[in-house]
Amino acid sequence: MPNVRPAPTQCVGPDYRSESQKPTAAVSTDVKVDTVTILPQTPQLIALLSIIRDKNTQRGDFIFYSNRIIRLLVEEGLNHLPTVEHTVTTPVGRSYDGLAFQGKICGVSIMRAGEAMEQGLRECCRSVRIGKILIQRDEETSQPKLFYDKLPEDIADRWVLLLDPMLATGGSAIMAVDVLKSRGVPEERILFLNVLASPQGIQNFATKFPKLRLVTAFVDQGLDDKNYIIPGLGDFGDRYYTR
Amino acid sequence: MPASVAVEPAAVLNGVANTEVEADGTIATRAHYSPPWADVSIIGIAGSSGSGKSTLSHAIVNKLNLPWVVILSIDSFYKSLDPESSRRAFRNEYDFDSPDALDFDVLVERLRDLKAGKRAEIPVYSFEKHARLDRTTSIYSPHVLILEGIFALYDPRVLELLDMKIFCEADADTCLSRRILRDQRDRGRDIEGILKQWFTFVKPNFEKYVNPQRNVADIIVPRGVENHVAMSMVVQFIQQKLLEKSTHHRAALTQLEIGAQSEPLSDKVIVMNQTSQLRGMNTIIHNIDTSSEDFIFYFDRLSALLVEQALNKIPFTSSAIPTPHGQTYPGLRPKGEVSAVIVLRGGAALEAGLHRCITDCKTGRVLIQSNVRTGEPELHYLVLPDDIAWHEAVLLLDAQMSSGGSALMAVQVLVDHGVRAERIVLVTYSAGRMGLHRLTKVFPEITVVVGHVVQDIEERWVERRYFRC
Repeated sequence: MPNVRPAPTQCVGPDYRSESQKPTAAVSTDVKVDTVTILPQTPQLIALLSIIRDKNTQRGDFIFYSNRIIRLLVEEGLNHLPTVEHTVTTPVGRSYDGLAFQGKICGVSIMRAGEAMEQGLRECCRSVRIGKILIQRDEETSQPKLFYDKLPEDIADRWVLLLDPMLATGGSAIMAVDVLKSRGVPEERILFLNVLASPQGIQNFATKFPKLRLVTAFVDQGLDDKNYIIPGLGDFGDRYYTR
Repeated sequence: MPASVAVEPAAVLNGVANTEVEADGTIATRAHYSPPWADVSIIGIAGSSGSGKSTLSHAIVNKLNLPWVVILSIDSFYKSLDPESSRRAFRNEYDFDSPDALDFDVLVERLRDLKAGKRAEIPVYSFEKHARLDRTTSIYSPHVLILEGIFALYDPRVLELLDMKIFCEADADTCLSRRILRDQRDRGRDIEGILKQWFTFVKPNFEKYVNPQRNVADIIVPRGVENHVAMSMVVQFIQQKLLEKSTHHRAALTQLEIGAQSEPLSDKVIVMNQTSQLRGMNTIIHNIDTSSEDFIFYFDRLSALLVEQALNKIPFTSSAIPTPHGQTYPGLRPKGEVSAVIVLRGGAALEAGLHRCITDCKTGRVLIQSNVRTGEPELHYLVLPDDIAWHEAVLLLDAQMSSGGSALMAVQVLVDHGVRAERIVLVTYSAGRMGLHRLTKVFPEITVVVGHVVQDIEERWVERRYFRC
């Protein structure tokens, strides 16, 4: 398979442990793109991914553990939002030099798998507005096609967290960004949150939108002939909602 | 007496760092910490059956009114009887009043454990069945132990461990009448049997073995609890001992401060990456004007991140994962069970974060409170999972750590219960630099995950805000 690179394998664990005390595992493929943030490849993240990748994992566990990864993604994604210096007085009467969050945000999920990420977003940002976009593959042209969208009216004034757990070829994600841009959202105010990406998908996406920031938990080895991410985790939506 | 048993209080609590060679060949300095229960004072109270030993013991405990005084009855150490002896016992023909009926070896072993600050499993003896029961009672962390029984001053090995030796005296009529009442009421015997025992065994043994214990006693107390002068002497002595312990304990904690400001933190102290979200959340949490609703929301959000970070420090093992596409992913899985211990009450504020990551995490609880007068941390309550010594990692949760006194005590408690220090991950929202330094000097093996480090001691405001009282 020409589209598959070998997985980078390394010892994973805290710095204070020597190499021999750390088990080895495959970590994310590195991509040399400034706008792409890959979550730190900690042993816990690898273990969480191991559970959701496992074909023997039941749906309840799949939901629980993917929610944990999504929460980490959201926490990392929010770090890319603007802040302003802010000093407060603490309960013990000291002054604390901190930061305040700035700017309005909203979430936009690409149906249906992206909706699985809404809970993680709500757990960090209560009462966040969430728009939805439905994109499906057109049977005749095998190209993605926009079927439905419902977005906040003032979306052009907001930072947008675009949610889709899987980034294979990048076709539907690119279309979703086009929709957002057509509503007046500048590219640099869109953050794409993603659980598992292929190197090709990232390349396509980043070439098309050089200013859009992407946060992913893991970049896999590649795509197979059917454009599935491998080693992958199967169909995220199916495993989360129906299987 | 083994060398590990410390007798001199001054030698037990020293904060002086000494050098020892670690397994990997590097030389590390570590400080020593001894909890206040490491040198338990043991008071032995002997005397004839019915002379008022246990009444005196209980009176002392009541008068002290402290949670760390425990009465240990030597009756718990009766040997289990073989079938023949058992039959004789039921006919009241077995000599329970001879030193041979007692298992002094086990008693000495348990006393030595307690003296070393360890947990001791005390056998439970059934007088109805004349046998030890399967279960045991555990004694852990008393500061004063009262050993009470007719032969409390009998075995020379026991005598060596005693800090004070008391012999109770009462005239024989009083003893016999008390014994009749007690054995009938509590031990299911009839009068005839009680009298038979008294004249065959109790009386001769008293002359032969019990009475000579007077010679080794520090004080001989006639008339038991009615003897107020003797009572207050004993109580005063114990109070003095407790005060010494508390002073030494606090002095040892202070000793550990030296060097805290100049030395860098251990590399096993992991401070959360100060990302803009983390700083933003910290700002909301620190702001006195934040509503309770927001405070709890952001604290829960942050505590989930703290626990996620802590779970990076547990042991993992490689595992080949079959994916739905027929591929294999070389992944990881946790090596074994991870449990948690909550340091009350602050640690309970991190429970939402804990259970977000491990829904069914077994959680032990320990209540350590600082004495309002002296600031000395005191252990009040303790429940741990039975199998905690076999867990691959134990997360110790506390919202705030300032001087490190209660964290030190909590880690010591876990170590005393068989948890290896390198398996402990202390998780705390905020920590004082000095506290971190103290803790990692004493227990360099443990990992600490901390939300943010403050320069000096802060009062415990986080739990007050979280629980709103």
